[in-house]
Amino acid sequence: MSTVTSPALVDRELAAIVGEGNVKRSDFVINGVVPAAVVYPGSPEEVGAILHLANGRDLVVAPAGGLTKQQIGCVPERIDILLSTTRLNKIEEYDPGDLTIVVQAGMSFAEMQRQLGGHQQWVPCDAANLEHATIGGLLATGAAGPLKSTFGHMRDFCIGVQFVTADGKVVKGGGRVVKNVAGYDLMKLLTGSYGSLAVITRANFKVFPRPRQTRTFTCSFHSLDEALQFRTRLFQSPLTPMCMEIISPGASEYLQNQGTVHDPDDYAPELPVSLPAVEWQIVLRATGSDNVLARYARELGPAVTHTLEGAEEEQFWGWICHFEQSVLARHRNAMVLYTHLAIQNVGAALQALQRVAPDYNMIPAAVGRAATGNLVLALMPLAVDPPSAMQYANCVSAFRGLLPPGASAEVAHCPTEAKPHFDVWGTTPTDVNMMRAVKRVIDPKNILNRGRFIV
Amino acid sequence: MDSSIIRQLKKIAGKDAVLDRPEELMLYEYDAGVDKHRPGAVVFAQTTQQVSQVMKLASDKKIPVVPRGAGTGLSGGAIARREAIVLSLARMNKILEIDVPNQRAVVQPGVVNLELSNATAKYGYYYAPDPSSQKACTIGGNVSENSGGPHTLALGVTVNHVTGLEVVLPDGKVIELGGKAQDSTGLDLTGFFVGSEGTMGVVTRITVKLTKLPEHVTTLLAIYNTVEDAANTVVAITQSGVTPAALEMLDGWMVRCVEANVHAGYPEDAAAVLLIELEGMRETVNEQAEAVSAVCMQQKAREVRHAKDEKQRQLLWLGRKTAFGAVGRVSPSYYTQDGVIPRTKVPYTLAEIERISKHYGLIIGNVFHAGDGNLHPLILFDSRDPKQTENSRKAAKEIMACCLKFGGSITGEHGVGLEKMGLMTAMFTEDDLEVMVRLRNAFNPESILNPQKMIPDLHFCREITGPLPKAKFEPVAGLPA
Repeated sequence: MSTVTSPALVDRELAAIVGEGNVKRSDFVINGVVPAAVVYPGSPEEVGAILHLANGRDLVVAPAGGLTKQQIGCVPERIDILLSTTRLNKIEEYDPGDLTIVVQAGMSFAEMQRQLGGHQQWVPCDAANLEHATIGGLLATGAAGPLKSTFGHMRDFCIGVQFVTADGKVVKGGGRVVKNVAGYDLMKLLTGSYGSLAVITRANFKVFPRPRQTRTFTCSFHSLDEALQFRTRLFQSPLTPMCMEIISPGASEYLQNQGTVHDPDDYAPELPVSLPAVEWQIVLRATGSDNVLARYARELGPAVTHTLEGAEEEQFWGWICHFEQSVLARHRNAMVLYTHLAIQNVGAALQALQRVAPDYNMIPAAVGRAATGNLVLALMPLAVDPPSAMQYANCVSAFRGLLPPGASAEVAHCPTEAKPHFDVWGTTPTDVNMMRAVKRVIDPKNILNRGRFIV
Repeated sequence: MDSSIIRQLKKIAGKDAVLDRPEELMLYEYDAGVDKHRPGAVVFAQTTQQVSQVMKLASDKKIPVVPRGAGTGLSGGAIARREAIVLSLARMNKILEIDVPNQRAVVQPGVVNLELSNATAKYGYYYAPDPSSQKACTIGGNVSENSGGPHTLALGVTVNHVTGLEVVLPDGKVIELGGKAQDSTGLDLTGFFVGSEGTMGVVTRITVKLTKLPEHVTTLLAIYNTVEDAANTVVAITQSGVTPAALEMLDGWMVRCVEANVHAGYPEDAAAVLLIELEGMRETVNEQAEAVSAVCMQQKAREVRHAKDEKQRQLLWLGRKTAFGAVGRVSPSYYTQDGVIPRTKVPYTLAEIERISKHYGLIIGNVFHAGDGNLHPLILFDSRDPKQTENSRKAAKEIMACCLKFGGSITGEHGVGLEKMGLMTAMFTEDDLEVMVRLRNAFNPESILNPQKMIPDLHFCREITGPLPKAKFEPVAGLPA
């Protein structure tokens, strides 16, 4: 049963919950859909009241934080309410001695990290856009960067969570201690659920001592095979680098500062790049004392082509983390995929990318976690003969067809017009019917992010 | 148990795979915790298909099923009631694949934890989660309980090491969650399933991460004249920027108890000892060992000993790993707690436990994962003395209240099971628990699997699930009233 509600009436009711000033019109577009209203609740209880209202009226709600990953997913049917958590932006509890922090979901990750930094601590997540990305958004999207190799991602640091279910209940899971098996692990369930199960309002993290010193070693190879053989030797060595990235020849272009991009529909390098970009790279970031870093240099030996330290090193890793953003700033119509691969399938996926791209008038580039199989793959349309919407769809299905069994690859970015032609999320080894059963029990009316996610 | 059910179980799993005589069932009426109940039958599945058939039968007849591994659990999770079937996975004990290049192993649920590490050591890898019962406990059981262990301080608990599961749902359907990749597109049901204590499905195949054996390992034994100094050291080490692989504490009473049992070389006059393990690259370990020793001495350690060789190191750990058994030698009964507190509250909480011990006139030994703030106070009592039994429960209740006061947890790694079910309402609201029940219902809608465990039987359970299987909720032995 759905009731037709006039937008003005809903606005009034939302204003009654959060106050006049916290209901706004939206100019933010999500895959071509403009939300009817944006609402900024100031407490979990207000989130509850909004969801209770929406659930009763069959209004579709899109939870939002810093708006950095809203374009990921299928084209939503409609969005009646964009529910922004940005007013929930405080640290509720932080005792450096306990190495735990309790923080509201709308706080910018970078802001939290600065507070932790004051005590030489951090939450080891280096996803992109951390100034804007919120704690809740990073959890909901399961975001990660190169540090995932050693530390895992948000699911591995999140020790407690408070969230609001579609029927407006404020609920919690986990707790404030680092080891806890009381009740189901709702933190794992919500991490990466893309706002389709509940609205996260608070999260508790375990925090870590921040490494005091790091150094980065870049190793170059003439072929993917050589790079992967080097990776195997690293796995067998006693070295335990904090990050291990693989970089495809085409990616170097996007891992450097670039002059102004005049037209993201028609970008070409301003100057010929100094070195012909034919090399595959494995980049290691190590942490430890001078002694430890010297050992790295010794064991890696002549494989190392550059060593980076200090500001230069930070800048380099910034580029790695922002590879996707850098690609999209230069090519509005680029396609970006995230892969989930068994370690030995990294090679197959990279080969598949190189092989498929030219068939669909695209240029490939890849950066990713060589030790975990989480790659960021970019496909840039040829400016002279750009691919059609169908070609994007065909390209994805050709690429997925070449992936070994058990691998999954979701499309994180592509032109909105292409999205109706294929499945953005693709197949996954996890039982999708079970995922849907979970969605049904927790959001039976499907008001949260309807049509966006796999469930 | 109805003889036609027994016949059908025998038809599914074979004649020698079903137990139903009282003298046989006696062996399956307890785990390593305090509760006891005799099940109606025990069936040993050997294949996923058999598990599926057993579940289908149980679903059709509405008979509760309790999955069981080695029965080493401490919270009653594997204990079944009279009308229930125990589904033992102990015979599904094959390591199916060791995939060194992908750093994964695929195992059946009945594989014993330590056997996997032993089988992979020759490739330079091991399976990191190491519960103290690792010589006996199964990986399937570890998955159900999300087991920890001393070395989870740096490397995480079971959930951080499981990437894929094959699960049989209560209706007999077999599903896959995850695989060999670190993660996959969509909801992380693999992570969600781990620690569900057998209430969502029966695990029949597990893909786990293998961890590279460290180049170098050092174990330090720091010896203290007061418990407080040892507790303060725990806080100081975590603040110093070093994350040890393990950071364990034994109080003076435990030290003497352990020494009498295995002669691990702990000084018997110590008030407390810390067992600190550091692992990684040789340079890192050596530097950290120096740094940690300095921290210990600053915090008034009487002495810090380094294990000279692997033999000494193993001996130090033998003391820790056999601590529970050692207590069994000196006390007719003991009641193990599993509370967790924020690390900075370790000194205060130990003082509080000392006070509780004196108040009730009961010995409480402390041996625990200090680095995680995961306490295991062992309350000694004589179960033949009703007064002592009652006091032990009162003491346990006060210790838990102390943990909860600091925002801690009622269980760090042993699970809720039967034992701590009544305490769930002290940590979670009805709304919290109602959402958990809804999620359980997505997997186990009729509560056929491990009913009346983990989440207390509040009014809403009935509203949502409809009629429950016949098993009635009874007051649980060993649970603080």
